Amino acid sequence: MGLTGKAAAAAFAAIFVCLMSAGLYGVERFPAPEFDSEYRLPETSYPGTAAETEGYIALGALFAALAAATWLAHKRRSRKGIFALMIVSLLYFGFYRKGCICAVGSLQNVTLGLFDSSYGIPLTVLGFFLLPLVFSVLFGRTFCAAVCPLGAIQDVVVLKPQRVPGWLEHALGMGAYVYLAAAILFAATGTGFLICRTDPFVSFFRLGGDPTLLAVGAGILVVGIFIARPYCRYLCPYGVLLGWASRFSKWHITITPDECVKCRLCEEACLFGAIRKPPPPKEDESRERGVRRLAVILALTPVLVLGGGWVGGHLAGPLSRANTRVKLAEEIRELSEGRVEAATLEGEAFLASGAPRGELYAEAASVGDRFTVGGWTLGGFLGLVFAWKLLGLSVVRTREDYEMDRAACLSCGRCFSYCPREQERLKKAKEARA
Amino acid sequence: MNATMKGDDGRGALHAARAVAVVAGIFSLVVCIVIIANFLQTRAADPLNSKELEALIGELRERRDDGELREAVRALDLLARKAYFTSRGFNRAGAYLLVGGITVMLVSLKAAATLRRKLPDPKRLAPLEEPTERKELARRAVTALGGVLVVVSLGIVWTAGRNEWDALDGGIEAQPAAEGPGEAVSAAAYPTREEMLGNWPFFRGGEANGVGHTANAPVSWNVETGEGVLWKTAVPMGGFGSPVAWKDRVFLTGADEKVREVYCFDAETGELLWRRRIEGIPGSPETAPAVTPDTGHAAPTMAVDGRHAFAIFSTGDVACLDFDGEVVWARNLGVPENHYGHSSSLVTHEGLLLVQLDHGGGGNVFGLDAATGETVWRTAREVEISWSSPALVAVGGRTELLVNANPYVASYDPETGDELWSVDCMDMEVGPSPAYSDGMAFFANAYAIMVGINIETQEIVWEAYDDLPDVSSPLAVGGLLFTATSTGTVTCYEGATGAVHWKQEFDEGFYASAIVVGENVYLADKSGVMHIFKAAGEFTAVAELPLGEKSVCSPAFLRGRIFIRGEKNLYCMGTGDE
Repeated sequence: MGLTGKAAAAAFAAIFVCLMSAGLYGVERFPAPEFDSEYRLPETSYPGTAAETEGYIALGALFAALAAATWLAHKRRSRKGIFALMIVSLLYFGFYRKGCICAVGSLQNVTLGLFDSSYGIPLTVLGFFLLPLVFSVLFGRTFCAAVCPLGAIQDVVVLKPQRVPGWLEHALGMGAYVYLAAAILFAATGTGFLICRTDPFVSFFRLGGDPTLLAVGAGILVVGIFIARPYCRYLCPYGVLLGWASRFSKWHITITPDECVKCRLCEEACLFGAIRKPPPPKEDESRERGVRRLAVILALTPVLVLGGGWVGGHLAGPLSRANTRVKLAEEIRELSEGRVEAATLEGEAFLASGAPRGELYAEAASVGDRFTVGGWTLGGFLGLVFAWKLLGLSVVRTREDYEMDRAACLSCGRCFSYCPREQERLKKAKEARA
Repeated sequence: MNATMKGDDGRGALHAARAVAVVAGIFSLVVCIVIIANFLQTRAADPLNSKELEALIGELRERRDDGELREAVRALDLLARKAYFTSRGFNRAGAYLLVGGITVMLVSLKAAATLRRKLPDPKRLAPLEEPTERKELARRAVTALGGVLVVVSLGIVWTAGRNEWDALDGGIEAQPAAEGPGEAVSAAAYPTREEMLGNWPFFRGGEANGVGHTANAPVSWNVETGEGVLWKTAVPMGGFGSPVAWKDRVFLTGADEKVREVYCFDAETGELLWRRRIEGIPGSPETAPAVTPDTGHAAPTMAVDGRHAFAIFSTGDVACLDFDGEVVWARNLGVPENHYGHSSSLVTHEGLLLVQLDHGGGGNVFGLDAATGETVWRTAREVEISWSSPALVAVGGRTELLVNANPYVASYDPETGDELWSVDCMDMEVGPSPAYSDGMAFFANAYAIMVGINIETQEIVWEAYDDLPDVSSPLAVGGLLFTATSTGTVTCYEGATGAVHWKQEFDEGFYASAIVVGENVYLADKSGVMHIFKAAGEFTAVAELPLGEKSVCSPAFLRGRIFIRGEKNLYCMGTGDE
């Protein structure tokens, strides 16, 4: 670890300690003074709800930022411009908006809206969900490049990036699918917004929060000094959707502005391992062997899907305990059987309400049923994703130039300056301007 | 290409960036130390735990009228709060400074890293990896990750276990008890209706509605002299379940918070043939639920079907035993949430054991396979806790399972559990069981209502609101309806209209239910005195026969004998002639 890396790591340790001390203060509640006469407590005042217009302003800012990022990546091919816009986005969507509304979290609102007819998705949230996807399907993941505050806060700490071996990159990338499945399951069952509850960076944006999340966030940022954007690459559930959209993008940035001269200079340029190299002229594996492997994986696909569903279906029970109603039902049940003596506040409130226990148990059972169906479905989905990944790793690609992996490329523009053709273009442009 | 991307001119900028980074780093470090020091100082001077303030408040409690002291407390409290919030503001400002300092440091380090970056030298690039080898490694890594995920998931499933409320959903499978599985009995082996009526298989007889079909029921005995008392046997453990009898066997249950037992007595001699402890049932709670002393842990009456005897306890444990006392199967239906204690008795019908389990965790009627204990059907009910027992009555060519609960009374097909009808009319904590006679079903509960319902049309024909039973179940026979209250009032109604024929006050109240055998109604009061009177539109007392101990159980009648459970003993009254 060089001086830069050590200094940055120490800095993040320090900021974590200080933010945590400030954040822990924020959790405390001051009791009212202990006067038993005359003193009149002032009426409690509550902050007003955020003006609706602020949401639309944020949506407008998102559109503007996406348009600017796309222009900078595609037309200007300017890494500096992208970085500058990323800082602006970090300040506005991150620190000013305190990380909310967030496109990453919006997928939970959409999921809940799809599964709970009584939940109305705010238009601004829907906009935050759709706009980055629309831009991705047209221009690639320019949202990740310069607009997402979660990506931006990681990007600014990339100081001593190390390459992650390709095989490990493929394996770790599956984590995002697992996180996506879990987030959808929790949102669809009305259990909660897992992404928001486990957002590692929102505590930084709010200058305080849960110490554990702060520690996790600080840890990710420390790792991010050496492994560029680890959350985006291995965890981000929205990144999965953006990757799917970007895979079919009509206009995606390219490393070279015109033609690839196969100089190999860009080979190490991408910190995210998103540059695909042309294969050697002759594969070292016989075609027959490759076809046989492909056939085996294809045959195993239904097994993986069913197996994933089976595991997911069985995991549903334990996972459902994250649901507050299920948790309460279990507590009430244990209380009634005398297995626990003291009730939690929630338990006391429920008992004091006189609400029928049967309804609570029925509700818990209903949530459990939804978890089971969701567990089977999403477990099957994960099985399919693993099968698809194995298939992708077994298909022989034909490629002549160094190209972007459209799904993995974050459109950050780092690779532009490595290309001699780009340098030539810039030189010509400079001469033209002169 | 070995030069920096900015060329040699970039060295100055690189040095500047490094210098700024160092300065910003030192600044951040200082701010950080100050913040931490302030944080620790503020924690130490916590105004919520100020000893000075506490001492002053203590003084103020003793001298409440001391206005000067009160003002001093307020002033000190205000000062402490101001100091606290000032400190917090200081920390927050420090946090902003720290963020600013670290931002400058980061930007400088970033700039230095950019300025230091070199374009790669193509000559030094590593040789291209073999794609096949690389992909093989990736496939293994992905497969390994999938395997790890599966193992971790299964580990979670294994350690987390099932959700507790699954038990309420009938989710726990029947388990053979520790004593081992018994012989399955086919439905064809079960007794006919005539055999059932000729014995005393349920609470309140062969149809669980209080009508006895035996003959020669005794109308006199004397416990003190022993006249008319065939035998008297102490019951090992207490319970409020009434006796059931089949040929030469009489069955009872007894329990406390730790032990649950089933007893079998010789109907001829009163000898305790066997007692079987019911234990080791999967899902059974380690600690029995809290119950009141007047209900206990063995309030439900057992059921017998000629081959097997069935028992249920306050824990929700259901057990099936053969006539030799071996446990055939046992299972836990989920611990009933019942603040008095579960008391609904069991009935059987053509190979099914029918269980009314209306408790705080939900209302349910179960149809269990009598041979195996497996759930054949389960009907969920939106009802409150009910202490009532079901009645199994013959209506024309069909059999209906009548059930009383708040807020509705209902009838179910005992073979399928399908609800045949229900009437929303009941209220309060329901104890009395249904009665049926001549096309009219009767449901009652104290402080609520008594209704006569036409069972074909489900029309409420009449209602009554006075002198309603609390525990004792109504008895319908020969167009008449008899009720007995906990305060000692016995009323005879015209079943078809609800018109009162007579009302008789007794010194003691009634928990036991009235049983009619032949022309006589048998009704034991709480002191143990058996009141025998004519089942007629005019009150005619036949006998009043003390038991010598308290009794709240309903008697069982079998071939000229009466079995009565007292507080401590089981009695058999009769002459010995069948």
